[in-house]
Amino acid sequence: MPRVFITGLGFITSIGNDSGAVVKSLTELRHGFEVYAPFQMPEIPCKVLGTIKEFFTDSSDPEDWTWPGRYSIKRETIRSMAPNGLFAHCAMLQAIEDAKLGMAEVSSPGTGLYAASGGSPMLTHHHHERLGKVGVMRCSPVGIIASIVGTLNFNLVAAFRIRGASCGFSSACASSAHAIGFAFDEIALGRQERMFVVGAEDGNLDAILPFAGMRTLSLQSDPDIASRPFDTARDGFVGTGGGAVLVLESEREVDRRGVRPYAEVRGWGQASDGYNVAIPQPEGCGLQLAMEHALRHAGVPAAEVDYVSAHATSTLIGDIAEARALRAVFAAAGATPAVSSTKALTGHGLSLAGAMETGFCALGMAHGFTPGSAHLKTIDPECAGLNVIRETLPKAPAVTLKNSSGFGGANVSVVLKKA
Amino acid sequence: MPEAVKSNPAENKPVVAGPKPFTTEDEAALREALKRCSAPTFEAAVQYRRTGNPEHVPAVVIGVIERFVEPDLRHKLKDPDDDLRLIEDLGTDSLTMMEIVILVEDVLQMTINNDELRNLRTVGDVKTFIDCKIRGLPQPKPTKFLPIEHIGSVMPVQPPFLFLNEASVSSAGANAKYKITGQEFFLQGHFKGNPVMPASIMLEALGQLAVLYLLEGAVTEPGKVVGPGTIYFTGCEGVRAHRICRPGDLLTLSIKPKRMKMPLATFEGSVRVGQEKAVIVEEVTLTFGYVDAAAAPSSADAAAPQAGKLVPSESAPLDPAITA
Repeated sequence: MPRVFITGLGFITSIGNDSGAVVKSLTELRHGFEVYAPFQMPEIPCKVLGTIKEFFTDSSDPEDWTWPGRYSIKRETIRSMAPNGLFAHCAMLQAIEDAKLGMAEVSSPGTGLYAASGGSPMLTHHHHERLGKVGVMRCSPVGIIASIVGTLNFNLVAAFRIRGASCGFSSACASSAHAIGFAFDEIALGRQERMFVVGAEDGNLDAILPFAGMRTLSLQSDPDIASRPFDTARDGFVGTGGGAVLVLESEREVDRRGVRPYAEVRGWGQASDGYNVAIPQPEGCGLQLAMEHALRHAGVPAAEVDYVSAHATSTLIGDIAEARALRAVFAAAGATPAVSSTKALTGHGLSLAGAMETGFCALGMAHGFTPGSAHLKTIDPECAGLNVIRETLPKAPAVTLKNSSGFGGANVSVVLKKA
Repeated sequence: MPEAVKSNPAENKPVVAGPKPFTTEDEAALREALKRCSAPTFEAAVQYRRTGNPEHVPAVVIGVIERFVEPDLRHKLKDPDDDLRLIEDLGTDSLTMMEIVILVEDVLQMTINNDELRNLRTVGDVKTFIDCKIRGLPQPKPTKFLPIEHIGSVMPVQPPFLFLNEASVSSAGANAKYKITGQEFFLQGHFKGNPVMPASIMLEALGQLAVLYLLEGAVTEPGKVVGPGTIYFTGCEGVRAHRICRPGDLLTLSIKPKRMKMPLATFEGSVRVGQEKAVIVEEVTLTFGYVDAAAAPSSADAAAPQAGKLVPSESAPLDPAITA
């Protein structure tokens, strides 16, 4: 089967707006949380957010937005975007440069783009409010393009003149992991030579606050301890937005272009809980199955995995279910891979999470580190038996397993191997 | 909720007619709507809303268009040229056109229908359209863009003496391009070893564009068209040549009707290369006459039989089946 490699990365995240800054945050375990001004109202119980620095996107009018001057984006490109589109657009520019791709390679029949975002609740709200107020004929002609769930792929495919496969994925917090899996398939099946995989979220009040209604957000007001996966004192996740882009390429393209890949995507698997619309199956049986499928697909025995980048969001039920699934997969093989959740630093990026965290794994494999699980003081006894690493290890894992789970009990696992 | 539903249609009703008092709230809303436009645009909009005087409208329309054009192309609007094309010259697309229309509707308190938008291709088209709409006048014929095949099929003048490569014609005037190739037969002798486009030929080219205007753009009597065989040169006034034109130069020709009363039509015209004046003609006058619309197509087709297919649908009135 053709082999697939990660050859380019781009990041706009709460812990850094380029690979260099992200590596520094991951190795020094610096989080990206701040007390978020729009949350500071008496009726809003959550206070902290993984904020995107250097960007202002809290206005419903894209022409009010600001972003770092190194990215030049035209009005006609920005007008149909959600904030997540802007983040991803900047991450795309980074990834294209990082992968040393020319525009002829970006815009070619052999290059596709799979993307995942939850759309833009802020813009949906704004445009519908305006529709009621001034009538539909005075509404922005591109309001719907900026708002709905496919906004990310619509905008990026047009802006970067993508000519190969394009599609959006909507499995909530597993979305961009699904995008990686199916992008892998496109290349492995010989349909595409190269795929951009994009995850992004607005990560603002409208996108994050509804999760407080589910009682899944941390109510901590101290940014230093709000997100602590696997810890007994964890009380929910901290939301975040941003954009992450991975460039996946066939072995043939890697050889032809003579680029040095970050890591190889060896295989992937998915499975569903068949249990509840929002609550993970308590034993993590869907996630267990997804990991087993991924390892089998990759042809890698469980004992060879030396790092698991957990989905663990710092919620009470979710972290335990994942811990049980991990024990089921690795204890039987007598293996204790290092486990960590980088959501302790970034917060939970929802549709962005899978792509962002797979990107972190690729950085670790190329730069020689294994990201630690920050803010962990006392491990939850329910998560006992896992080798949760509290510090970043100065050694690249040879085989990494990346987990992602979403609403409806969707689970995805991706296997990466050192290139 | 039921109240909200009831109250909405009332707010959405287009403003019917007659000046409405312009309140301070209206001014605040106008300021917000035009916050990314220049100060003169806002001022003109305020004046229009206060007085209803259509003279202020062009400044508003240009200001709104400018606001939606990419900054590096805005200089083109500094010296407003009605022939600037919205798509080709200003880089707008149909979505941007819609944004322009929505803001103009909002600012000028008018409603524009989708089908009215299709024919707006130049800045001049937009200005004329809004102006006619506000004054309650009928809309002029839309600008027609004519490729060489069409020009060849309708013109009584033919190669090697036809000096129009492409043209656009509206009821307000006509524009054309002609590239001096260096292969023109007269350049062999004009001058010896020094090919220079004769000024008399540039005057001829302007005359040809005026002929095209009479055939394609002029408003005629019902059931009549201008007969290609009726048009001849009678005279010109105030002809000045400003620039030597040589092979490789792209001539931009422009004529506007000044007076038209059968059998005489008088135009002003200019030839430019880029922004440089080449020839200015204060007046060029042609004779013309009408023929029955039904008789016209056969003579036009005879001039270039194979070109009939390429004639755009705007020439439908020439079709005997429709006029019959």
